[in-house]
Amino acid sequence: MAVTDEVQLQVKNIYMAFGGVQALMDISLEVKKGEIFSIIGPNGAGKTVLLNCINGLYHPQRGQIYFEGKEISKLKPHHRAEIGISRTFQKIELFKGTSVLDNIRLGRHIHLKSGLISGSIYLGKTAREEIEHRDFIEKEIIDLLEIEHIRDKVVGMLPYGLQKRVELARALALNPKVILLDEPLAGLNLEEVEDMARFILDINEEERWQTTCVLVEHDMGVVMDISHRVMALNFGEKIAEGTPTEIQKNPNVIKAYLGEVEDLYVTRR
Amino acid sequence: MSHVWLPCGLYHQEYTQDHGWWQTPLIKGKMIFLLAIIFIVFPLTLTGYWFGVANMVGYTALGALGVQILIGYAGLITLGHAAFIAVGAYTSTLLILQFPWPNFFINWGLAYPISIIIAGIIAGLWSVLFGLPSAKVKGFYLILTTMAAQFITVDFILTQYISQIGGRGQAFSLPPGTIKIGPWIIDSEIKTYFLMAILLTLCVVIVANLLRSKVGRAWIAIRDNDIAAETLGINIIWYKLLNFFVAGFIAGLAGAFWVSNTAALSPEHFPWFWSLWLVGVILIGGVGSIHGVIFGSIFMVLAMELIQLAVISLGDVFPELMMKFLYIKESVFGLIICAFLIFQPRGISYRWWQIKNYFNLWPFSY
Repeated sequence: MAVTDEVQLQVKNIYMAFGGVQALMDISLEVKKGEIFSIIGPNGAGKTVLLNCINGLYHPQRGQIYFEGKEISKLKPHHRAEIGISRTFQKIELFKGTSVLDNIRLGRHIHLKSGLISGSIYLGKTAREEIEHRDFIEKEIIDLLEIEHIRDKVVGMLPYGLQKRVELARALALNPKVILLDEPLAGLNLEEVEDMARFILDINEEERWQTTCVLVEHDMGVVMDISHRVMALNFGEKIAEGTPTEIQKNPNVIKAYLGEVEDLYVTRR
Repeated sequence: MSHVWLPCGLYHQEYTQDHGWWQTPLIKGKMIFLLAIIFIVFPLTLTGYWFGVANMVGYTALGALGVQILIGYAGLITLGHAAFIAVGAYTSTLLILQFPWPNFFINWGLAYPISIIIAGIIAGLWSVLFGLPSAKVKGFYLILTTMAAQFITVDFILTQYISQIGGRGQAFSLPPGTIKIGPWIIDSEIKTYFLMAILLTLCVVIVANLLRSKVGRAWIAIRDNDIAAETLGINIIWYKLLNFFVAGFIAGLAGAFWVSNTAALSPEHFPWFWSLWLVGVILIGGVGSIHGVIFGSIFMVLAMELIQLAVISLGDVFPELMMKFLYIKESVFGLIICAFLIFQPRGISYRWWQIKNYFNLWPFSY
């Protein structure tokens, strides 16, 4: 999908502190509809905290977050999920005891209508609804992410790479407008990284999905290849934003990752 | 539960088949056989004493089903479930005794069935009230708030105030003929047995259905990973309270059923130990499994009956044992729990699953 100029997600001057640690300092960013926006930075830079703020798990002390023009800073995480923000986690946060299919079904939660009484009877409406959503899951998600062979497996028993994929499937099942991907490539081997990068591109570009992606990742090769724009954080501060080529040349980013020339001498003495 | 073992050559072609309950002819046959045993064979063959045992199993299972929903499916640890059973029992009894039923309802035997449902709803709401702290506290701390439910409800409100209603003294007793469903007066053990079997079957069906629809999946999500559940759009507080409601509702049904079995009621029927006992039942049966509730109830009730039998037969030799039966019961309960936690931490239902799997492939186990 072509990147539009419409700002879909906007973060305005947010501050987040944990006790004496200033995790985010005056961070602003604008994610345009249809783009892959990457956030990079060394460990402890505040990337995950930023995602948690957007997602609603943390509430920043100052600043606002806007989604499609509406302020969402005060909304609870489940409301933000309902309006179309979905995410995956750095450390896999799947429901380990249940099957892959049930995990993905849980991603459909906000689209299901059946309540306590119709659910307990499980005739007519609920049964029909379950079939419809099963159809959706099979055709749209399981097929896209190539996890047909594990749909009945218990998630906790699966290898790490597949668990990451199931987590993406679950986040995708919400049919989100923006998907926040927190290190989707961490701990994967080369082949799995390539697969995952392909899936991210699919989600972003395919006519059916056209989902805006906010990507937090350490794998610079992939980040620079697939992102439209990149933002770099260091110690809670935004140090650069721009296209991948701009970021690669940015002296601040190089400094943050490699340190000053003098530092190198000091450490190598 | 998720994946049903299919025999060679049997494939699902529709999602409806894959979502079905009884997915193979064998399972269907087994379940019909089981229902036939419960509703036809047992009533024809059992005698008085065994009906009593079966009713006790059913009562325990109904209570433990609520505990299973809370602990096993939503991770809300509760130690006050007897309070909600008590609320159900008292609601039902008071409705029968005090409510000015029009003659029509009495004649048609509608008073008791209606009181069962109202008992469920009141107990559910009462349970929600004590579930409110679960919005903020988790795990260990929730044990304390649910224990508060036990002591506030049974030891304070029921003993001090509710029991005084009508000036009957501490214990209520229901006159013969008041517990009537339609044309049937529930006055014999076989009728109580049928009531129990129907209630338990309905509750198991309801819970099993919930667990394969939106609500139950949300509960399991909250149990396994509440942060992830929240980011998927699940309103955690709402679903926790819903969980408390359903658990309380089933507890209320259990209480209202128990009234028909004893025809008398006093706060001493619902001690804190009974709450603990129900938790023990699901630990033994298997946490997070409906089978576990049934297996655990059968196991515990039969074990206690066996001990009672042993104590009575040894009574001539050691009269001391008869005096200390309660202590023996409690220590055996403790020992059984310890043994299960060490040797079979996933309960009888896991062993059952293993046996089933073994026979699915038997005699060629590869």
